[in-house]
Amino acid sequence: MPQIRFVLNGKPVELEIDPGERLAYTLRERPGLIGTKIGCGEGECGACTVLVDGVSVVSCIYPTTKVQGRTVTTIEGLAPEGDLHPVQEAFVEHFAAQCGYCTPGFVMSAVALLREKPQPTREEILEGLSGNLCRCTGYYQIIEAVEAAAERLAQRKEP
Amino acid sequence: MPALGKSITRLDIRTKVQGSRKYPQDFNLPGQLYGAVVWSAYPHARVRHIDTSEAEAIPGVVRVITYRDVPVNEYGINLRDQPVLVPEGGKVRWQGDRIAIVVAESEAIARRAVEAVRVDYEPLPVVSDPLEAMRPGSPLVHEERGTNVLHHVRVRKGDIAAGFAQADVIVEDVYTTHAVEHAYLQPEAGIGYIDEQGRVAVIAAAQWPHDDLHQIAHMLNLPEEQLRETVPAVGGAFGGREDMYIQHLLALCAFVLRRPVKIVFTREESIRCTGKRHPFVFRCRHGATRDGQLVAVEVEAVSDAGAYASTSIPVLNNAVSFLAGPYAVPNVALDGYTVYTNNAVTMAMRGFGATQPPVAYEQQMDRLAEALGMDPVEFRLKNALVPGSESALGNRMPPGTAVRETLIAAARAAGWEEVEGHWRAPDPGPPSAPYRRRAFGVACAYKNVCYSFGFDDRATADVELALDPSGKIARALVRIGAVDVGQGVHTALQQIAADALGVEPARVRIALVDTSEVPDAGSSSASRHVYASGNAVLHACRQAYEKWQEALREETGETRIRARYTFHGRDIRPTTPYDPETGLCEPHISYSFGTQIALVEVDIETGEVEVLKMWVSHSAGRIVNPAMAFGQVAGGIHMGVGYALTEHFIQQAGIARTRRFSEYAIPSIRDMPRELVDVPVEVIDPTGPFGATGLGETPTLPTAPAILNGIARATGVRITRLPATPERVWRALQGRGAPDQPRGDR
Repeated sequence: MPQIRFVLNGKPVELEIDPGERLAYTLRERPGLIGTKIGCGEGECGACTVLVDGVSVVSCIYPTTKVQGRTVTTIEGLAPEGDLHPVQEAFVEHFAAQCGYCTPGFVMSAVALLREKPQPTREEILEGLSGNLCRCTGYYQIIEAVEAAAERLAQRKEP
Repeated sequence: MPALGKSITRLDIRTKVQGSRKYPQDFNLPGQLYGAVVWSAYPHARVRHIDTSEAEAIPGVVRVITYRDVPVNEYGINLRDQPVLVPEGGKVRWQGDRIAIVVAESEAIARRAVEAVRVDYEPLPVVSDPLEAMRPGSPLVHEERGTNVLHHVRVRKGDIAAGFAQADVIVEDVYTTHAVEHAYLQPEAGIGYIDEQGRVAVIAAAQWPHDDLHQIAHMLNLPEEQLRETVPAVGGAFGGREDMYIQHLLALCAFVLRRPVKIVFTREESIRCTGKRHPFVFRCRHGATRDGQLVAVEVEAVSDAGAYASTSIPVLNNAVSFLAGPYAVPNVALDGYTVYTNNAVTMAMRGFGATQPPVAYEQQMDRLAEALGMDPVEFRLKNALVPGSESALGNRMPPGTAVRETLIAAARAAGWEEVEGHWRAPDPGPPSAPYRRRAFGVACAYKNVCYSFGFDDRATADVELALDPSGKIARALVRIGAVDVGQGVHTALQQIAADALGVEPARVRIALVDTSEVPDAGSSSASRHVYASGNAVLHACRQAYEKWQEALREETGETRIRARYTFHGRDIRPTTPYDPETGLCEPHISYSFGTQIALVEVDIETGEVEVLKMWVSHSAGRIVNPAMAFGQVAGGIHMGVGYALTEHFIQQAGIARTRRFSEYAIPSIRDMPRELVDVPVEVIDPTGPFGATGLGETPTLPTAPAILNGIARATGVRITRLPATPERVWRALQGRGAPDQPRGDR
C-alpha cells in the first residue's frame, strides 16, 4: 500500500492508500470527509471539486498520489468548525442551494475563482463555474451569491 | 410578524454549504458489506440459467443473492408487474432488469464478482417503438396480457365534427417528445441493516417512504411494523425516486444477510437502469373561428411506458386531461394510449404527464394565431380558462385559475402593449449577427396540484408543543412524512406551522423523515406538499393551539401538547375517474399556472439556438417563500431548456446509448438565458393553507414550447420533434429554406 503525506485542511496527514486511488475516494473513505460529493465519477459534474495548492480540481478523477507534499482544502477546511466562509455565508443568504448535493463543489469553485479574480465580471463567474452542474437552482441564485461574496470579501480587505 | 410570504432562510442550507449534511452515500455502519447489481445484458430475453458459482468462489464475496432469496418476487408502485430479481425461466424486459446482487467485503470485490456471474440468455425480438408495439403481431412484452397496450383513455365532449365545420382555420401536425433523465446529482445509494428493534431498515433517498414500506412488506412478506425507512438529505428527485430503484434491494440484502449492506450506484447505472420521462407522440388537429375562438381540439396521444407499468397509467390520465391546454374549448375528442416496449421504464418526472402536452398544444395555438393573423398573446387571452370556465374534461375551473393573470404579467414585462383592445408585440430588436434570426416565443401551461381522478390525497401531521414554565410555546416539533427532496418543503411547513401557532419560525423543528417516527404524508410529487401537507400541518397546529389555550385557561400545568390531523383532498374537492364513455370527470383538486416568453436567437448556419432572455410569470396561490419560489421557477426553466435543446436519453433497440454526463447534457451555467425576469402573480385558491397551492412542477412546462415557438417565429421553421438540437434545426432549415430577412415576432 503506497503511503502518502500532504497537508489536509491545514493539518499534516499521512495515509495509506490503494494503488490508483482517486482523491475523492481517499477524502471520503479515509478521514471521512463526506462534504466532497461524487456525482458522476468522470470529472463532468464538479460536485467533488476541492483545492490542491489553492487551485480547483475535480477530485473524482484526480489521482491521490499527485497530492504528495501538497496542500488540499475541502469544504470542511474553508472555515473553523461551525463557522462559515464568506462564500458559504453568501450561498446561505441567496438561497444558492436546494438539494445541496452540488453545493460543496460550487462553493469550492467559487472560492478558487474569487482567489484568482477578486472582482469577477459576470462572464468570469460563468467561466469559473462552468465546470459545475446543478439540477435544482437554474444557477441564478448561485451567481448572485458569488457576486455578493466578492463584495463581502472586498469590504473585509478594506482597512 | 407572519413568516408566510417572507424569504425565511432555508432550515437545511447551513449544513448543506458546510458539507456536513448527510446524504445516503455518506452513511456507514460497523461491519457493513457492499452490494453490486448484476443487470440484464439484453433488453428482451429469456433467462435460461444463472450460474453464481464462479462469483461466489472469489475471495471476499459473501453471497450472491438471486430470485431464490426473494420471498415474493414482484413489486411496482402501481401494478406489481416487475420481478425484484429475474428468475430462471423468466424474462428480462429491459436493460434495467436485475439478475442478482453480489454482496462482498468491499465494493471493488463486489463489482469484480458481478462480471463473474454467468447468465445464459435466449434473446427475444425487441419492440422499441410504441406505435409498432400497438400493432397486432408485435412481440409482446408481457405475454399474459395479450397486448402491449397498457391503458387507453378517451374523452368526447360536444360535437367534434360540428366544431371543425364551424372552424375558419384548422391546423394539424404530429409532435414527438423524447425520453429524458431526471439527472439528480446524487446517484441512488443507501444502506440496508437490521435496526436495534430487529426491523429490516433502509436509509435511502425516496419520495414516498411509507409507500416504499408497503411494497417492501409485500416483497419480504413481513408486516410493515417490522420494517423501517429513513430518508436523510436527498440529492434531488424530480419524480425519479417515486419508484423504488434501490430501497427494496437494500432491504432484501439486509433481510437475507442480517448484516448492514451498502449499495451505491454509479452515474452510468443511475442513467441506464432507472426510469425516464415518457416519450409521447401527439397527433393534433385544432380548429378556430376567424374571430379567434378555439372551437375544436382533436388529439391522439401515445406514450411509451417502457418495460413495466410504473406510473404510466396515471401519467397518461394526467396527460390526457391537459391535451387541450389551459383553454376553453366546446368540442373535444381525445384519445390516449400508453404502451409497453422494451425501452427504459418511464415514470414520474416533474410535471407527471403535464410537461409533454404543451410541446404540442402550444405550438398548435401559435399556428392558429399565425393562421388568423392574430397576436399570440391576444389569441391565448381570448381562450384562456378563467374561474368557472369549463375545461376539456367538462369540469369547472376553481378559484385561483390564473392563465390570464400570468399571461398578462409576462407579456407586459416583455413589452407587449394593449392598444384599443388589441395586444401588440414589442420589436425583438436586431439579431446579434447577420447569420442569426431573433424572435419572441410565447407559451402558457397549467398543472394539477395533488393527486387526481378519485385517488384520495391524504397527509397526516403530528404536532407537539413544548411549553416553558410560564406556559408559553418554547418549541414545536412537527412530525410528518413529507420528504424534502431539495425543493424546500420543510422550510415551507416550518413557516406554515409558525404562523398557525403565532411563534417565530426558529421555534419550529421538522422531524427527520423516518417511517418509525413520522406519519404518512404521501409522496413528494404532484406539487402537493405545500397544499396537502401544508393543510395537515396548519390544522394540526390550530388544534394544538386550541388545546394549549384551553390548558392555559384551565391552568392544567401541562408542559406538552400534542395534536394530529389528517388532511383528505376529497373533503375539499372530490375528484372522479374518467367516465368510461365520455371521459368527462372532475379530474383535479387544485392547479398552478404559468406563462413564459423567450427571446430566442437561431444561428441559421449552424442550427444553434440561444435563449437570450426570458420573462416568466407563475401563479400557485399565495407564495410561501419568495426566494424559494424563485428557485423553483429558475430550476424548472433549467429543466425546460434542457428538454427543449440539449437533453436526450437515446435508446436503440432497447440499448441505452447515453450513459454518462459527458453524453447526456443537462444545461450548464452557460446554457441558461442570460437574464430571467420573474413577475409572479398570486391568485389565491382559498382551499390551500393561507391560500397557497404548489409551484414545484409548472415552471418546467412552458419553457420548451416557448423556445420552439421562438424558433418558428425567427426562422419560419417548426421543430416538431424534440430536442431541437443544432443538427435538427439546421436540417429543418435546409429542408424548408430559411427566410432571408428576420421575420421578427409577427
